[in-house]
Amino acid sequence: MGRPAIMLVWRKPCSRMLAAVKLNLTPPETAPETAPFANYQSKHAIYDEYLSAGGYQDGAWHPIAGYLDRLGTQGIQACAAEAEHLVHQSGANFQITRDELEKSRPWQLAVVPLVLDSLTWAKLESGLQQRMRLLETVLCDLLGKQQLLKERILPAELLTANPEFMPAYHELPTGVNRLTLTATDLARDNDGSWWVTGDRTRAPSGLGYALENRIITSRVLPHLIRKSNVTRVAAFFSSLQKQLDSLAPRTKDNPRVAILTPGEHSYRYVEDAYLARYLGYTLVQGRDLAVRGDRLNLKTLGGLLPIEVLWRHVSDHKCDPLELDPSTSQGVSGLLQSIRSGTVSVANSIGSVLVQMPALMPFLPAASKFFFGNELSLPSIATYWCGGSKERQYVLEHLDDLILRPAFVVSGSPPIDPLELTSEERQALIAKIKDRPHQFVAQQRPSRSTTPVWHDGQLRPWHMALRSFHVQTSNGFEVMPGGLIRVSPENASLDHSPISGRRGQDCWIIANEPVDHETTLLPPSNAPLQLMRGVQELPSRVAENLFWLGRHAERTEAVARLLRTTLNRLAGENAVEELVDLPRLLAALAAVGQIAPDYAIKELVQALPTLEAVLPDSVFDREQPRGLQASVINMVEKAKSARDRISADGYRIITRIGDDLVGSLTNTDIGATIERLNRLITDLLALSGLANESMTHTHGWRFLHLGRRIERAYQTAELLAATLAHPIADEGPLLESVLRVTDSIMTYRSRYLSRLQTTAVIDLLITDNTNPRSLVFQLQTINQLIAELPNDSIDQASGEDQRSAEDLLHCIRMAQPTELAFTGTTGQRHELCELLNKLINGLPRLSNEITARYLIHTGSTQLLNGSTSPVSGKR
Amino acid sequence: MKPRAIKQKYSSVECQSVVITIDPEPDVIHQHTDYFGNEVTSFSIESLHQSLAVVVNSELTVHQHGLPPDAQLPWEKVTENIRKFEDHRWFEAQAYLQESPRVRRGKRFANYAKESFLTGRSLSEAMLNLTERIHHDFQYDTSATHVHSTTEEAFDLRAGVCQDFAHIQIACLRSIGLPARYVSGYLRTATAPGEQRMLGADESHAWVSLYGGEKLGWIDFDPTNACICDTKHIPICVGRDYGDVSPMRGVVVGGGNTELKVSVDVESMDEPAQTTDFESPRP
Repeated sequence: MGRPAIMLVWRKPCSRMLAAVKLNLTPPETAPETAPFANYQSKHAIYDEYLSAGGYQDGAWHPIAGYLDRLGTQGIQACAAEAEHLVHQSGANFQITRDELEKSRPWQLAVVPLVLDSLTWAKLESGLQQRMRLLETVLCDLLGKQQLLKERILPAELLTANPEFMPAYHELPTGVNRLTLTATDLARDNDGSWWVTGDRTRAPSGLGYALENRIITSRVLPHLIRKSNVTRVAAFFSSLQKQLDSLAPRTKDNPRVAILTPGEHSYRYVEDAYLARYLGYTLVQGRDLAVRGDRLNLKTLGGLLPIEVLWRHVSDHKCDPLELDPSTSQGVSGLLQSIRSGTVSVANSIGSVLVQMPALMPFLPAASKFFFGNELSLPSIATYWCGGSKERQYVLEHLDDLILRPAFVVSGSPPIDPLELTSEERQALIAKIKDRPHQFVAQQRPSRSTTPVWHDGQLRPWHMALRSFHVQTSNGFEVMPGGLIRVSPENASLDHSPISGRRGQDCWIIANEPVDHETTLLPPSNAPLQLMRGVQELPSRVAENLFWLGRHAERTEAVARLLRTTLNRLAGENAVEELVDLPRLLAALAAVGQIAPDYAIKELVQALPTLEAVLPDSVFDREQPRGLQASVINMVEKAKSARDRISADGYRIITRIGDDLVGSLTNTDIGATIERLNRLITDLLALSGLANESMTHTHGWRFLHLGRRIERAYQTAELLAATLAHPIADEGPLLESVLRVTDSIMTYRSRYLSRLQTTAVIDLLITDNTNPRSLVFQLQTINQLIAELPNDSIDQASGEDQRSAEDLLHCIRMAQPTELAFTGTTGQRHELCELLNKLINGLPRLSNEITARYLIHTGSTQLLNGSTSPVSGKR
Repeated sequence: MKPRAIKQKYSSVECQSVVITIDPEPDVIHQHTDYFGNEVTSFSIESLHQSLAVVVNSELTVHQHGLPPDAQLPWEKVTENIRKFEDHRWFEAQAYLQESPRVRRGKRFANYAKESFLTGRSLSEAMLNLTERIHHDFQYDTSATHVHSTTEEAFDLRAGVCQDFAHIQIACLRSIGLPARYVSGYLRTATAPGEQRMLGADESHAWVSLYGGEKLGWIDFDPTNACICDTKHIPICVGRDYGDVSPMRGVVVGGGNTELKVSVDVESMDEPAQTTDFESPRP
């Protein structure tokens, strides 16, 4: 058995060991033999976060190491497994394939946190605050008076030769703050001092993962985190939320804040969706937005809704194709104009990318002196901008001691390590540096401290990188207590990119005073809240994804049911030749694309591999474009795209479906396959139950449901056409199978006992409006749902979908079960065929009409490059 | 972008009036000044429309003073003064000295430029020589390049239109350390009898402005017509390259193919034409 059994195995030791800890309030005299911390050893001459901070004897780690040692190897292992399980289940992860898993979450969570005492943290915090204040000031200057350049504190090339700088940034009005959320990457040297390896001022990633690491770690070690006086991070998120809200130009109370994400295919997407859900913001993409009358709007089914604050996670130059980079659709045309008009605030402000350029780092101490008259308390790692002739000379002379990076952009690719180059590559690099020196910076390789990391059943000293997060409020910069920790067995890999590293870790700051357990992200209960029904804020894109999620989920269920019924027949005592209904079931499977069409043709079956082998295999066949696997993958894909609209419970089910079916292929005999299909069907029912019971019945739900109803009607029509249109001699077993596939066997038996008659079956499956599986029920619901959708009478296309749906419903209502069941002289149920064909052709058309009316909101956007130069004028 | 006052030491533009007529009437219209000092009018039309007409009717006076006879400063001195921050306008010059999206510096440009910018030669003489060489060496050919051709491509083809010539000359100048900017403007048609009709007439035009140090300031040269600019050249906006100063750009939402027609009419006020029909621009 799959997940549930494993969950029990995982959970049990956890609760048992917690109980044991409660009993064992005084630690044993000597650590148990499996005490990982007592036996932990660090690397020589490298600062170790645990041992150098006092280790087992003293300091912030002391009680935590003691607690974990009492859990012992087995206990920690169990916690690690639990953590892994929670990561897997969490909304920030959505496994389809191994590859995707690795793509969607850069790091697995290491269960043992990094622990820092409050003194260490306080020093770091004030250093970060000073640094961020400086970056804000430098940014304001670069996009304002440019004193730093004119006074030659900074080389002018940092701006004029910087391809990241767009002149339009300089024309934008200064808001309250230019930087709202920033991050800084830190490394800890052998003597325990901290060094900044880079700053992130554009749209730092990782905040969502830091939050998730905290949530999961505190779920796995709830007692420990509470007893250890760990500073909570909730207050930081609350400040971030308040700050973003306060940026709203007009509606200060509950403004509409949207997170602009680059899209489903970006590495940011998972995290953006997670943050949107946690903070209660709308997740939008460029195509969900439109600027009208200087205002930024969200395109929804209910019309345009103004957005007041845009927390953008797309690059500065991609924010507005009209005035910035025209080659991208991640942003929205006219955004800069609406910023100039003051109707929307963008965080971080457009242009903030400038102060994260590595070339700025060597000049920060001078800038600090220039503006504030003081030194920076938190130093940057030694960085040399090759645009300076002395620096260039130094770099070329000490090439082997340094790594090289682009000067102006923070790149996702690893730095150039001269030690790894062949001599030709090295010469090429030197030539490049000499040719365009201002495009390079060289940096010292940072030393990085180690920290205990639970890996392969023991604690190992792995190197550590800390990313801190800061939010600028009216009271200055607030630093998140903790941050995102990346760990890796080798030092260098952490320098590759901001997301490199083997695992992530939570970071605990141990407070001296009791910590505040009160802050939550829930609004204060006394704040007046406008009562609302139905959320209009459904971006058309999300509606589309929900619609297709509904269709794919229903399709998956229909195919699974048909497969299960067929396999059950094969698994029975009868020989295959005796199964009179089998050819018809195979025809149905072929019709839905689960097996090759050849199986539906009697004469060809002999030449084909046996069904006992083929059918279970087809369940796991990814090549079949319309098969069950494709259907599941499509379903998961759509769920992923509508991620911020699906509850955590819903995710768990979908993740499990993905795992269960797309996962291993160990056992494909008939029995095991049936078992899998049973689980799949149960999960799908749970999902549809969840959607009905836990989703508000607003437009989002309507689209999900419409998708389901259309697909169910279509699948039923296909099934009936394949099985009953041309009657076979002994129809009894076939009727029973059809009833099983459509989940209507119980109803039938309760009405007619075991007498199987075609007319009664046709009535139950087509014309009985009390059966939620019947065709008439689907069409009735479809009509009802369409009537409830927003109606825009100006729309020319209005009504086409409604007319089609009404027409199909009318045909079914007019049909008589006896006439449908009547077999004519041609050996065909003529009336039935006609009705089903109408549905098989009409339902896809209806689906298209709905998509055209509601879901394709705008035509394509084309760039009018109104160049009046003779060049294009004559083209 | 609309015409604006430009004041340079040896040339200037005065704007008597600028009237912009947009049909259909825009829902929103705004003005702002961009990083390079150009006047930008932005507007949006939110109703369905089949056509859009933008007519800019301006009355301008262009002054050209010509270079003073004593402008004999060797060109190296200009670059040196900027490099050593001795030129008090060094910072202004910086933006036009570096690479910009469409103009990259390079050895081929430097080598080409050096043939005109001989050691110790005066800046104006060297510049005029380079302007003439580009005119001579490069074929004016509207089919050779397109709006997205790179400067290097045009250079290697030895052909192009005014935009390419301007980019090439800018690349040459920046490659040897001289600040140069791109000027987008109009060219007055030569109508006087006996005078040769100029290329790019009745079209928008592009040329180069060179920073000649504190004493000379910005001086305009036209590589397409191998001359220093005079009152026939009407500058509208300046930038680092074409990308900064495309006279009009926008986004259309919705289907259908769009077709763009542009026409320019320049009339001299002291020799007025019979009718000035701005309502129906020539195709």
